[in-house]
Amino acid sequence: MDFYYRPGSAPCRSVLMTAQALGVEFDKKVVINTRAGEQLKPEYLKINPQHTIPTLHDNGFALWESRAIMVYLVQKYGKDDKLYPKDVQKQALINQRLYFDMGTLYKSFADYYYPQIFFKKPADPESYKKIEVAFEFLNTFLEGQTYSAGEDYSLADIAFLSTVSTFDVAGFDFKRYSNVAKWYENAKKLTPGWEANWAGCLEFRKYFDN
Amino acid sequence: MPAMDLYNMPGAPTTRAVKMTAKAVGVELNSKFINTMEGDQLKPEFVKINPQHTIPTLVDNGFAIWESRAIVVYLVEKYGKPDSPLYPKDPQKRALINQRLYFDMGTLFDSLAKYIFPLFRTGSLGDQESLDKFNSALELLNTFLEGQDYVAGSKLTVADLAILATVSTIEMIQFDLQKFPNVDRWYKNAQKVAPGWDENLEGIKQLKKFIEERAAAAAKQ
Repeated sequence: MDFYYRPGSAPCRSVLMTAQALGVEFDKKVVINTRAGEQLKPEYLKINPQHTIPTLHDNGFALWESRAIMVYLVQKYGKDDKLYPKDVQKQALINQRLYFDMGTLYKSFADYYYPQIFFKKPADPESYKKIEVAFEFLNTFLEGQTYSAGEDYSLADIAFLSTVSTFDVAGFDFKRYSNVAKWYENAKKLTPGWEANWAGCLEFRKYFDN
Repeated sequence: MPAMDLYNMPGAPTTRAVKMTAKAVGVELNSKFINTMEGDQLKPEFVKINPQHTIPTLVDNGFAIWESRAIVVYLVEKYGKPDSPLYPKDPQKRALINQRLYFDMGTLFDSLAKYIFPLFRTGSLGDQESLDKFNSALELLNTFLEGQDYVAGSKLTVADLAILATVSTIEMIQFDLQKFPNVDRWYKNAQKVAPGWDENLEGIKQLKKFIEERAAAAAKQ
């Protein structure tokens, strides 16, 4: 089973933390330098015609979209279903959090920071407000909760940890969202692969320092 | 047969995806209209149900769930036949469907919204850049459909229903799918086999009428 990724990329880090939590090892880990256009090489397009990272290649089965990969790893290789319970309601809640992560929380990061770091555009205050709105929602989801999707630690916590740590390394002050701040400190302790995730964040930091 | 509440905007693509899936698994929905253009979703009673105040939101005997793609999976898992082909248990098949659902959210629907939804606010479609992005998304879908009858393999799944709800939004405007022959082929077939297609199309027609009436009213001023 091979994994195509970049160490700094948040969705790639989500998959790496999930693999570590499950005790899954990849046979080959290939860095795809997306800034140099390596994802557009024919060999890669053959595996993933959408030419995104991360991509998993499991014995001929190619899969992309980090959150689809996370679920696949649990369902195929998990010793149990703790990270993504079979219970239909619990799973639906985790799914809603994963779609929120993609469509609202991480999206607000990309919409605000990517134009600045990749295209040298000035900061857009409207996009900044959307980050604050997203964190308000996450803060509300975490009201009275230890974990982000129900009573137990799950894939939702891993996905959010990757996203929130990316905001952390970018210097966004989320400590004012007290539920998020508390959850973050706890999630770091519980997640195997936190160190590697933070090392990846620091790799990503280089884009900000330029 | 279970009946449950769906808070929704009838013409919205994500609402239509849920309605087609409910039809596919034989579930009746009590449709509760939330007019997001009038701010209905911000009323306290709705925020209590869904603190993110988005539609569609399903309430099944007190269990509230939002995000259309989480809802469609929930409906099949809870009310579909055992190991329903709409969302089969096999991890690989499921993973492919999930990838298509995330593609729908993050790429296809996102680009369609940026190109078509400005109609609601400004009366005009999005700019050339938004059209280019929508065409790119359709190009990817075209690639996924190479040699395939359905978007995630050989059978109809929730990925087809979600993507059908998205793509059929083009019925609101003049848009030619022929430059994406696989998508065109898939689209023509999906209309025939998707449960609740007629209601889906009706929802889009209502939306189109709404836009046309608004444009006519604006022209009179």
